[in-house]
Amino acid sequence: MTTATRSPAPQHRPGPDAWLTLTVSEAKMVSRDTAGLIVPLGLPLLILIMSAAAAGSEVLVGTHTALEVFVLPLVITLVIATIGIVNMPSFLAYYRRSGILRRLAVTPASPSMVLVAQGVVSVLQALLGLVLALTVALVFFGANPPERIAAAIGVFLLATLAMYALGMVVASIAPTPNSAVAIGLVLFFALGALGGLFGGMAALPDFLSGIAPWLPFGASVEALGAVWVGADVPAENLLSLAATSVLGTAVAAALFRWE
Amino acid sequence: MTTTTAAVMADSLTKAYRGGTAVDGITLRIEPGEVFGILGTNGAGKTTTVEMIAGLRRPDSGEVRIFGLDPHRDRGAVRQILGVQLQQAYMHHALSVDELIDLYRSFYPDPRPAADLRALVGLEDQRRVRFEKLSGGQQQRLSIALALVGRPRLVILDELTTGLDPHARRRMWSTLEGLRKEDVTIVLVSHAMDEVERLCDRVALIDAGRVVALDTPAGLAAQGGADSLEDAFVTLTGRELEIDG
Repeated sequence: MTTATRSPAPQHRPGPDAWLTLTVSEAKMVSRDTAGLIVPLGLPLLILIMSAAAAGSEVLVGTHTALEVFVLPLVITLVIATIGIVNMPSFLAYYRRSGILRRLAVTPASPSMVLVAQGVVSVLQALLGLVLALTVALVFFGANPPERIAAAIGVFLLATLAMYALGMVVASIAPTPNSAVAIGLVLFFALGALGGLFGGMAALPDFLSGIAPWLPFGASVEALGAVWVGADVPAENLLSLAATSVLGTAVAAALFRWE
Repeated sequence: MTTTTAAVMADSLTKAYRGGTAVDGITLRIEPGEVFGILGTNGAGKTTTVEMIAGLRRPDSGEVRIFGLDPHRDRGAVRQILGVQLQQAYMHHALSVDELIDLYRSFYPDPRPAADLRALVGLEDQRRVRFEKLSGGQQQRLSIALALVGRPRLVILDELTTGLDPHARRRMWSTLEGLRKEDVTIVLVSHAMDEVERLCDRVALIDAGRVVALDTPAGLAAQGGADSLEDAFVTLTGRELEIDG
């Protein structure tokens, strides 16, 4: 017979200081991975510098140049897509592969803490890329800030959320760090190609250019371009980004594994 | 009649993988304050057993209770009283000893002081060394320190001293003696005979996913009709313990 001398269950959950410490730890991990910073920060800057001179003098809409209508939206989308879809998932896949997530699974830290901490650090990284690209475009190439600043911030946040949600899906299904990078890159290039990464959505075959604004990369480029010139954001762009965020988060939450 | 709650109650655990059955009906009752050894060859099912006890794997059938708590249903509570050193677990590789200790300390309400942890495993001189730059033995020692951060009532140590030099082994053993004095329950997975013989109150001999014998180290030696635990192991399982640690 067993008597009910059940120990009282201490229900302590890691508090704000644990979240902060974990986030700072993730930031140190990311900043010490120098190679991983080159693509999300360096590549968009390179594309910007390569095309800014010509695009900055090509007036497309009213007083707005191709730099504002197309290049900057593309570069900003590129920053959040590389970080969200390629970098962050490879970090999480590495953590899983190396046993770090397994080790954390036997502490009071929860899966959400690791995901949130890595997410926060990636957002900071994306903001760094954004500030870098904007500074260069505004200071050196005479670009103007978006006409609808508040809407631009909203679109940026929504697009970031969508890319990260996709990245979380990659992270939750990829069995190894290599496969995370592979799946992430395939997804990134597929969405990027359809979203105008290699020469504009107008250059795509008709049946593809029709779906581009419905996919997150193209939607982000188009929506950012719209707010830059002060136009309304096409509804399909917003729908696409919102749907990607919601579906991606739900799928990632359902599939995430510690090992 | 039992009046105390067992530190670990594992009841008829089974677990099969694609390659076959890893654990085939293991039942263990480990008392509070006990140092309990789980001894067996590689592939005997030791690690799978303790991973089910720690709540890292769900048994196909059977039940686990840790101080009366279910590792899955009462996950939050169990994590507070359980410390685990996994056989192959790596830390955030770019973080230093101090940074990792601080990170793990932040998870618990009343963590051990960082200085105590460093002293416990002898890493006072490696405070700013990144995990990836530590030697294998130092990584192992840090891993053990992190298992003790939250002042656990139950510690599971999987291959405690594998890969440690003789000096570090002795040091680890005295650390365990210290824990015993604090009434911490310790489950020690090992295939090192001398370690089990020296440290454990009782030992379960596991072979092919089953408990083939369970007794004090001296009792096991007697059961096997042998002078030493090592000879008893061969008699009881028909296998040699490979020496690779």
